[in-house]
Amino acid sequence: MSPKAVQYRANSIIYFKGDQSERIFLLNSGKVSLSYVDIETGQEVRDMIKMGEFFGVKSALGRYMREETAIVQQDATVMVFSVPEFEQLASKNTRIITKMLKVFSNQLRRIHRQVQNLMVSDEQVNPETGLYKIGEYYLANKRYGQALHAIKRYLVYYPSGTYATDAANKLAQAEEFLSRYGSGVPAGAAAPATASGAAPARAAASAPLPASGGNTSDIAQQYYNAVSLVSQEKYLDAFKAFKKILEGGPDAEYSAKTEFEMAKCLFYLKQYDNCIKSFTAIAQKFPKHPEMKDALFFVGRSYEEKGDKGKAAGLYKKIISMGPEDDPVIRKVRKAMRALEGDKG
Amino acid sequence: MSASSGPDLSMFNRFSKMFRKGDIIFCEYEPGDTFYLIQSGRVQIVRIIGDLEKNIDILNPTEIFGEMAILEEAPRSATAVALDDVKALEFNRENFEVLMMGNPQIAMKLLKLFIKRIYDQKRRFLILTLDDVEAKVADVFLMLAENQSVDTSTGDSIDFKSSVDDMSHWAGIPPGQCREVLNHFVAQRRIELYPDRIVVKNLNDFARFVNSRRKQKEK
Repeated sequence: MSPKAVQYRANSIIYFKGDQSERIFLLNSGKVSLSYVDIETGQEVRDMIKMGEFFGVKSALGRYMREETAIVQQDATVMVFSVPEFEQLASKNTRIITKMLKVFSNQLRRIHRQVQNLMVSDEQVNPETGLYKIGEYYLANKRYGQALHAIKRYLVYYPSGTYATDAANKLAQAEEFLSRYGSGVPAGAAAPATASGAAPARAAASAPLPASGGNTSDIAQQYYNAVSLVSQEKYLDAFKAFKKILEGGPDAEYSAKTEFEMAKCLFYLKQYDNCIKSFTAIAQKFPKHPEMKDALFFVGRSYEEKGDKGKAAGLYKKIISMGPEDDPVIRKVRKAMRALEGDKG
Repeated sequence: MSASSGPDLSMFNRFSKMFRKGDIIFCEYEPGDTFYLIQSGRVQIVRIIGDLEKNIDILNPTEIFGEMAILEEAPRSATAVALDDVKALEFNRENFEVLMMGNPQIAMKLLKLFIKRIYDQKRRFLILTLDDVEAKVADVFLMLAENQSVDTSTGDSIDFKSSVDDMSHWAGIPPGQCREVLNHFVAQRRIELYPDRIVVKNLNDFARFVNSRRKQKEK
């Protein structure tokens, strides 16, 4: 079986609204229109199919009824595919799928917005409040691991938000309960504490609980050797040296710092995607990282290097909003922001 | 049951992420720019409505979730929790193209998922544009039945595992108002209301009711 070319006379109908069929069409020549009722306006709409364009895809792939009537406006030649034939063609030429994903994602975005507009207002929770409430919910329900996670996420996105102070308190609470009672379900890096309750609920330590890593002074030595490689701009060597430190197991003092330095090296090694990924992971893992603004700045610069100015600008704005005004990092970010805006014109 | 029976994903190992049982993969309301393909383990999708945690779905290996994130950085619409130890591929807009090129099967899956989402949203839109609140609630029952592939022209009684809050969410009306409508239906003996389920006595009766309201609107 292979797709076949079918000729249609002007004014004939290829399919009717309400039909159910697994055929997909590709317009080769002639003119075909799709008529349907716009769900928002209730108006009848007629779209012309472009040459080389597929139609009838959604209803065929999703096994739904046709939502439109396909009318031949001028004698046309149409390739007719069964679903398996279409899938075979698309798997050899993924651009077909990518293109359709774009079209469908636009449609989805549009209908999604239309639906949101119709929702009653009390359904639309402000995302900041919503996220905070999730942490609250889990804490109230004694699911400390999940509470910890949700509150940390809140603090990553809203470090100076409306609930930041409450969130910081709740974070300390969740950490304390977690270390005292465990989480019922193990959560992330936070190992369930032993009955001794020895694990301190240090407010500042959102780092993994200290595990008995190697000899601490050894790690310190390794760490400073690696940092000195960074200052010599030997980023690849530095990266490898840092990686070795991490391979030695978690360390309360150095793990976060090491991961931070590695992500920085990735930036200088022009591995922007990996750099973004690493810093994002760090921000999630260590939401109170003292150098969070620096981390976000590297992410922003990575996006800028990748040519995604929109994202870069978004991050710069976010960092600036974190304040304070006279912070040297903020000053650098402002400068970068100005350069970025200058670029646009 | 792992991805070994599906497409070869070894080239994507660098995108692989592990989650421990109970880990939150993402939270409702947090901005999202990643989506996931489950390789092993199950993921539960939940929403916290009021002070209740509501199960939306449980997803199995080879299923995709969080895909709305590649459309826009809108806040997540639900929370994803690892129900087992979970291994999943994490994608974002940057590595998305690589995924498409390297694995048409996943791309096709995503395409079908988008199609389903478009239809689901359109269906919701139809409910929300009804003027009459009773028709809205009745139409939610019809939508739920369609999702379960139940024939809506049947006169049989059907059980829905839905709460008043669920119904109010889908109908886009406040819970109090939804309860009033449901109580009215109870008084009319069209439904029976239980804490954990709602029994619709005659779905076809609701179908006719909704259709007549929709026709009135078209005029």
